[in-house]
This record gives sequence, structure tokens and C-alpha cells, in this order.
Amino acid sequence: MENKEFNNLEESAVEVTPTPADIEEPDYKGDDELLERNVKLMSPMQMVLRRFFRSKLSIIGLVLIIGLFVFCWVGPLIYNKWEPTEMDNSGKWEVETPVVIEYEDEDGKHEFYKVTEVKKKANALADPSSDHPLGTDKIGRDVLARVMEGGKVSLTISFLSVFIITLFGVVFGGIAGYFGGVIDNIIMRLCDILMCLPGFPILLIVGTVLQNESLGIASQHRIYYLMGFLTLISWSGTARLVRGQILSLREQEYMVAAEAMGYSTGRKIFKHLVPNVMPQLIVSMTLSLGSMILYEASLSYLGLGAPEQHAAWGTMINIVVEDPNILENYFNIWGPPGICIILAVLGFNFIGDGLRDALDPKMRR
Amino acid sequence: MLKYILKRLGLSILILLGVSLILYFLIRCMPVDFIRSKIDAMNQGGATIKPDAQVTMYTSYGLDVPEDVVEEYRNQLKTEGRLEELDKFNKEYGNDSGFVKMLKGYLGWLGKICRLDFGKSFKYGDNVVNVIKDNMGVSFAIALIATIFEFLIAIPLGITAATHQYSIRDYIVTILVMIGISLPAFFFGQVLKNLLAMKLGWFYPSGLVNAAVSGMTFWEQIVDYFRHLFIPILTVVILSIGGRMRMTRTNMLEVMNSDYIRTARAKGLKEKTVIYKHAFRNTLIPLVTSLAGLLPSLFSGAIITEQVFDLPGIGNIALQAMSAGDIPFIMGYNMFLALLSVIGVLLSDLMYAVVDPRVKLS
Repeated sequence: MENKEFNNLEESAVEVTPTPADIEEPDYKGDDELLERNVKLMSPMQMVLRRFFRSKLSIIGLVLIIGLFVFCWVGPLIYNKWEPTEMDNSGKWEVETPVVIEYEDEDGKHEFYKVTEVKKKANALADPSSDHPLGTDKIGRDVLARVMEGGKVSLTISFLSVFIITLFGVVFGGIAGYFGGVIDNIIMRLCDILMCLPGFPILLIVGTVLQNESLGIASQHRIYYLMGFLTLISWSGTARLVRGQILSLREQEYMVAAEAMGYSTGRKIFKHLVPNVMPQLIVSMTLSLGSMILYEASLSYLGLGAPEQHAAWGTMINIVVEDPNILENYFNIWGPPGICIILAVLGFNFIGDGLRDALDPKMRR
Repeated sequence: MLKYILKRLGLSILILLGVSLILYFLIRCMPVDFIRSKIDAMNQGGATIKPDAQVTMYTSYGLDVPEDVVEEYRNQLKTEGRLEELDKFNKEYGNDSGFVKMLKGYLGWLGKICRLDFGKSFKYGDNVVNVIKDNMGVSFAIALIATIFEFLIAIPLGITAATHQYSIRDYIVTILVMIGISLPAFFFGQVLKNLLAMKLGWFYPSGLVNAAVSGMTFWEQIVDYFRHLFIPILTVVILSIGGRMRMTRTNMLEVMNSDYIRTARAKGLKEKTVIYKHAFRNTLIPLVTSLAGLLPSLFSGAIITEQVFDLPGIGNIALQAMSAGDIPFIMGYNMFLALLSVIGVLLSDLMYAVVDPRVKLS
């Protein structure tokens, strides 16, 4: 049992299963056995989780993300007073701009201000109150309900696109790294081209292309197509990462063993190589979740995203472009979606950072 | 070395070709039609543009004539009895499908590029290169100043975070810069604009020059620029510090764990000497390399920041060109960006070999 001296290192991956002899002879009190009972054996997964949860920042990140998910999906079930597209037609008294009335009599000139109060149909631009915790927007829709609804769009899009990017990246990177030669060359040159495409301007162009009515795309689905295009042009980074890892992994002994066992190519790539790339892949996926939210929000902000009635977070901020009055006086309309974007991106970044530290054996504390 | 550079240059040309092909086809699919909006504007002004004049406009701008205009033109020729012209037009117009037309258009564009003719911008009425050159000033100024401040602030922060790893200081710096990374440019820009310009009135919310005032002295001019550009630059700096600081910190940590740092400490050197003379100098390698990669991006302009603060920079110009359907300018601007990023990658690879003598290019 020469492994035992490793076990007193707290976080060792060496797993020693006690032999039946050790368990059956409790009265034997050798140093080695005592040591073994005091040491907790951990699988690599447990070690990663433990290191992850030791960092306070990653816990904050996790709490933020879970909180946002609960807010967007469970929130509407509890706060169901207003539908996100429903207008509050309870009405509101509004003071119109005063009209000056002048008249002259023997005392001289008089000026009067005629102030009219008008009953408006919609309760628009209401201040936060118990009825509307975050107030209402320009046409009387409840801001809180809209923020919840918008979060669904933003979070769904970011998860979907990261998933597709990873899928493309793993498949292309895996093929390039495993086969090498001409295939590798072709895929890598394609990656070079995609990397040099100016990302944001090209999305703006595609955004206008999608507005073409002959394509017959409903305006609330446009952002999904747009982000789909984004996934098509942004898998190159993931593919490079996977390829680089596989190039170094395929020379290792266990791959020779897999070869000797006569496994199929698909099994070798996806069962033996890809799982070993997972650590880096997970980190890059988590970090790109944040950047996808930012991308989606910026596109929506420029008016290429979801239309106003199906607003995502970015679209809700877009309103300040047309209306400086809202920018100046109604932070309760455009502030909350912005804060939600920040919290989501921050959460993903914290989790990604924590995962990177937890998965990197060099960063052991 | 020379052979390596030549090979890379050849590859870059291939990459640019690929990029231009994708761009051209996407841009040609855009539904915005510059000529049509122009004709509509003229029609609203009371003038009626006959189909033959419309066809002349389309061809003079080097664009394909849309189907409905062609139909009207044919009808016009028939009713006016200009049958010879109709025959001639039918022969020239041909029956190419949309794809073949695009391909022909692309080859024409490519031929012009080879003669260094980037075409004339529809919207701005000048050569594309000139338009880019004329509007780059503001974008370049913002990017340059922001990059300088970014490095000046991020590097010391990265060093303190690394030397005090896992201390309160490390956590505070990390959290702050992470918040910076997570801010969406448009939201943060609007918040700053609202707070510093509209509420406090210290700075101007938008534009580059104060239109109301004329005949300013040199110093007043400088102060005016400062009051216009402070918030945009602040926005860019805060958003970009994070990445640079994380990079410095990671590299610094890697260096601090190496053997020669232990040796330096064992020799009894002062902590300051160890950090700044032995550790930091080796951290500089990736920083300088990244700086070389950053150099071209100084010219590319920031679309969102310029849009938020309504600055007459290259990004904002491009955004307006895109909504107007100014094909030559959009094409030229995007190719300019692609060229910049190709140069950036090449420069940072070369710089890597220059800074680190152990790296050999092959």
C-alpha cells in the first residue's frame, strides 16, 4: 500500500478502497490504517466542486444566476397582477401645459394661467407604487412584468446560442484535431476567415436582411434568427480550443490503448477525447453566456432585436434613444432591465472564473 | 523569418477574399434600397421620376434594377413606342437569376478593388477611402486616449491583485473590474450621460463641438472638446479595464510562482525589486504582444459608444450608412475592419517573436 503516503495530502485524487482485511481487523492499530480512516477520499469531481464552493465569488455568481432564473420564470406566477403586454387602463389625471391668457382692463394688463387637468385613459408613466412596484411605461404597461418577460427571452437566447456554438465548435474542432491533414487545413482556414469577420457590423447587416418582408419572418422571432447567425460565425474560438487540446491528447498512451481495442473513430473522439476537453470547454461556455447576453442586448438596443411588445431587456433600454424625457426623469423604466443585464453577465463571469480556478490543478490553494 | 512573413501575407489575402465574399452576398441581400428611398423622397417633393430616369439612376450607381422598375420601364417604352430601345434593353438586361447577378456584381467589385478603386459612397458622395479617413479623427482620439488610460490603470491594479492574491484587496479589485466587464456599453453610457451631463451639467451629453458658441480661443476649444469627450472616454475605459487587469493578474501569478522569483527572494532582494525588476518585466511579454494586436483596433471606431453620445466618428457614420443602404461604404468599411483584424493578428504574432527571443517563427 504505497499509496498511503499520498493520502495525507488533503486534496489528493488517489482513491484507495480499503481491502476487506483492513475492515475485518479493527484491533490492529498500525499507523497506516489510522491514517486511512481519518482521510476523506474524494473523486476529482468532488474536488472540483469543493474548490468551486470555497470561493465566495462563485457562490455569489451562482446565487445571482439562480435568482434571475427564479425571478423570470417563477416570478410571473407569483406576480400575476399584470400581463406583460397588458395596458393599465385605470386612467390618470394629468396636468396639461398651462395656457397663458392675457386681458386688459383699467388696472392694466393681467396674465392668467389656465391649468387643465385631463383624465387620460391609460395610466402611463406612473411612478412606482404598490400597484406597480416599478411603475408603468409610456403606454401604461407594468414595468416589473415586462422585465420578467424580457428576462425569459434574453436568458433563453443566451443559453441556446452558447449550446449551438459549443456543438459546432466541438464537432469541427474535434474533426480537425483528430484527422489533421487536409481536413484540418480546410477547417482552420475557415476559422481564420470567420475570426476576421467584423462581428457587430455583420450582425447589423444581417439584422436588416432579416427585416426583408419576403422572408416571412415574424418580428418577434427575428432576434432568434439573428442570434442563430451569430452562432454560425462565432464557433471558431471553441473549435480552436478543442482542436488544440485534441492535438496534444491524441498522442497519449490511453489513445494508443483505445486504438488497440479497435474502437470506432466516433467513439474515440466523443467518448475518449472530448470528455478530456470538457474542463476548458465548460469555462469558455460559462464566460460566453455572459457575452451572448451582452450581444443580444446591444442588438436589441439598436432596434434589431425583439419588437417592443415582446421586449427583451435590451429593447426596454432602447426607448431612451427616442425619448430624452424618459432618459432624464424615468429611471424606473430603463434602469431595471439594465441592472438585470449587469447582474446576469456578472453572475456568469463569476461562475466562469470560479470554475476556471476550480478546474485548473495548478491553481490549488 | 522573411519566408514566414510572406507566407502569412499570402494567407491574409486568402482570408480577406473569403471575408469579402461573405460580406458582399450578405450586403446584397439587404432590403434597403438607397435609390428607391431617394426616388420616394423626390416624388414626395412633387417631382415625378419616370421609369427611364429611374433605370438611368440605378445603372449610374452600378446597381441592378429591381423587377418592378424594369416592368414599368418596359411598359413605358411600349406605350411611347420606343421599340428599338426596348429590344436593346431586353438584350442587355438578360435573364440572369439573382445569384448570377450577385456573382457578376462581386467579380466587378473585386476587379475595382484590384485597381484600388473602392467606389463612391452613395450617402456621403465622396470616395469611400476619403469618407473613412475624414471621420476617423474622433474615433482614433477616443480609442487612443482610452487605451492609454486602460493600460495605466489596469496594469498596477493587476500587479497589486497578484501580489496580494486572495486578500481583501484582490477581492475588491476583482469584483470592481468584473462589474466593469459586465456593463453593457449602451446602458452604462446612458447612466453616465444622465448623471454627469444632464443632472450635474458638468459635461455635454452629446456631439463633439458646441454649435452655440463660435470664435473660441485655443484653450476654450480644448476645454470644449474635453467636456464633450470625457464621458465617452470614461465609458470605454471602465468597460475595457477588466480584461487587461485579469490578463496582467494571471500572467503575474504565473511568473510569481516560477523558480527564479524564489531565487531572487532567496538572494535577499527587496520585495519591490523582486516584483518590478524580476516579475513584472516578464509579465510584459504578453502585454506588449496584446498591445500590438490592439493597434489596428484603434482605427475601427466604437459603434455603440459613438451612437449613444452622437459623436461624428467612423462607427456612427457606418451605422447611418447601413440604415441608408449605402452599399459601397458598408462594403468598404467592413473590409477595412477585416483588414485591421488581419493586421492585428499578424502584428501580435510578429511582436511575440520580437519581445521573447525564445520564440522562433516558422
